[in-house]
Amino acid sequence: MHKKVKVIPCSGIGKVYGLMAREAALKTVHELCPEKSETVCLAYIMTEDEAVRNKIEGFNCITVDGCPKMCASKNVSWIGGRVIDEMKVLDTVKEHKGKKFGSATTLDADGYVVVDEIADKIVKKIKDIIKEKL
Amino acid sequence: MIENYAILPCNGLDKCAGAISRETAIKLCENAKNEIICPVFYRVAEAKYNKIAGEHPLLVIDGCQTRCASKLATEKNLKVSKKITITEEAKIHNIELKSNLRLLKNENALIEIILNGLNSAEEKAASSSDKTNASYNFEYETYQKDKFLFRVPKNPEIYFNENDCWAYVIGNRARIGVTDFVQQNLSDILYFTPPEIGAEIEQFGEVGEIESSKSVIDIISPVSGKVVSINETLIEKPELINENPYELGWIAELELTDFDSDKELLVGFDKYFEIMKKKLEDLNA
Amino acid sequence: MDELKVGVISCSGEECLGGTISRLATRKVLEELSFVSTVTLCLPLYLAGGKEERDFAKVFPTIAVDGCDKLCAKRSTEKYSGKINGSVDVSKIIGNENALNTDTVLIKDLTEEHLQMVDKVASEIIKAISAINPDSYSGKTFGGCSCGS
Repeated sequence: MHKKVKVIPCSGIGKVYGLMAREAALKTVHELCPEKSETVCLAYIMTEDEAVRNKIEGFNCITVDGCPKMCASKNVSWIGGRVIDEMKVLDTVKEHKGKKFGSATTLDADGYVVVDEIADKIVKKIKDIIKEKL
Repeated sequence: MIENYAILPCNGLDKCAGAISRETAIKLCENAKNEIICPVFYRVAEAKYNKIAGEHPLLVIDGCQTRCASKLATEKNLKVSKKITITEEAKIHNIELKSNLRLLKNENALIEIILNGLNSAEEKAASSSDKTNASYNFEYETYQKDKFLFRVPKNPEIYFNENDCWAYVIGNRARIGVTDFVQQNLSDILYFTPPEIGAEIEQFGEVGEIESSKSVIDIISPVSGKVVSINETLIEKPELINENPYELGWIAELELTDFDSDKELLVGFDKYFEIMKKKLEDLNA
Repeated sequence: MDELKVGVISCSGEECLGGTISRLATRKVLEELSFVSTVTLCLPLYLAGGKEERDFAKVFPTIAVDGCDKLCAKRSTEKYSGKINGSVDVSKIIGNENALNTDTVLIKDLTEEHLQMVDKVASEIIKAISAINPDSYSGKTFGGCSCGS
């Protein structure tokens, strides 16, 4: 039986890009692709509880990171998730030079434009994973 | 191919991409100085391959996004010098891979493209490293302010200007860049505009621009000279300036025109370290 | 003399509303106190970062803010960094049922009622900070009655 792809954003509490990562991941799993994807708390992963290990270890994961520190990718790999794709918010942000996106607390309209683009990229990746039967 | 690699291909037996990965590795080892690491045998008897991986730079060839070979490398704590993913290469070069496991026209064409790409990348790296990298070794002193760490290189060949830019002077050349103070203050750097090669720069003149979400700044050259090379990697990856503004995020190299005069307006490590600490205190006041 | 800074580490629990409230309340407190008296860190940097990140709770007296009773921020700080000096459990403030709500997690979907929850939690974080550094607390409260309850 096909298992859901885990989409895990970074926590990025200090930067607008962290908020974008979070909103893009949550939009994907709650609105765009709820039957095929789900999220797991990155903070919970750090506890190494057996319950969260069972949720991640060996499963296909897409991580979404707001900055080059790559917290989501590193932590998910560390606990044994199969990181199929590492999404970087900044790659999409760079395509919107000159725009303002909001703050680490709230996003402006342009911020949500970027969130929507990232979410679409994540959905495409989920479909590729399912198609390649990984 | 110039480098002598240890090559770790994936073993994908259920996909064409795995077969391509294997064939690429075999062709690379027709150059007798490259050595293959068998991923299956590596799990059984690691001593032999640990030695090979320790003696050569490692080239990992993954067939697909599962990246089994990369994961094996991580598991064995190997440092990966270069990585190729066959399905990504196929996408980049617009080659459709068939679903059967035989290597036909498309698959062989892709292998040739990958091999040619590796050869030309190595030749380019060799010719530029002759001119650049040679002697830029940094030694650092660090200063912690709250949760932020600031590294300042303390080599006597390194000079700083009041705009927190550094110049590493060797002979008649200087490599220049910005300090940790700059990159920390800017936060995530998103864009880099390099100077023109051949441009004549005055001391304290502008030698490029970096832009983050917070602001745009001109890079103020500590020295006068002619731009002879730029760090092209920064155009695609300006975040390297955040990661390491000295070794990875250097901006440009200049052929010096008047360093004896320039030096009078620059400071060395001892003075700059104190200036930086004072700036950090003032920021928080 | 250097001002005492208090560290505030929040979970950002993506799985439920409590995590969103925890994140927003922490941000509110940091912004109100103008980052002069408080400092934060992304929790996952304990593992993804270096020594300077792992030293956080050794360098700063630290409050952990958790969205639910799994207490990931508290436990991870104690595991990787050091003892904490205060803990705020959002589920105890807004109720378990609200904290574990998985229907409303995105910030764009929050209602006025949710924003009031953010204010309530922010007030509790302020109390925890002022217990460590009374000078950081300007007497401000968020929403609700002006007496702070």
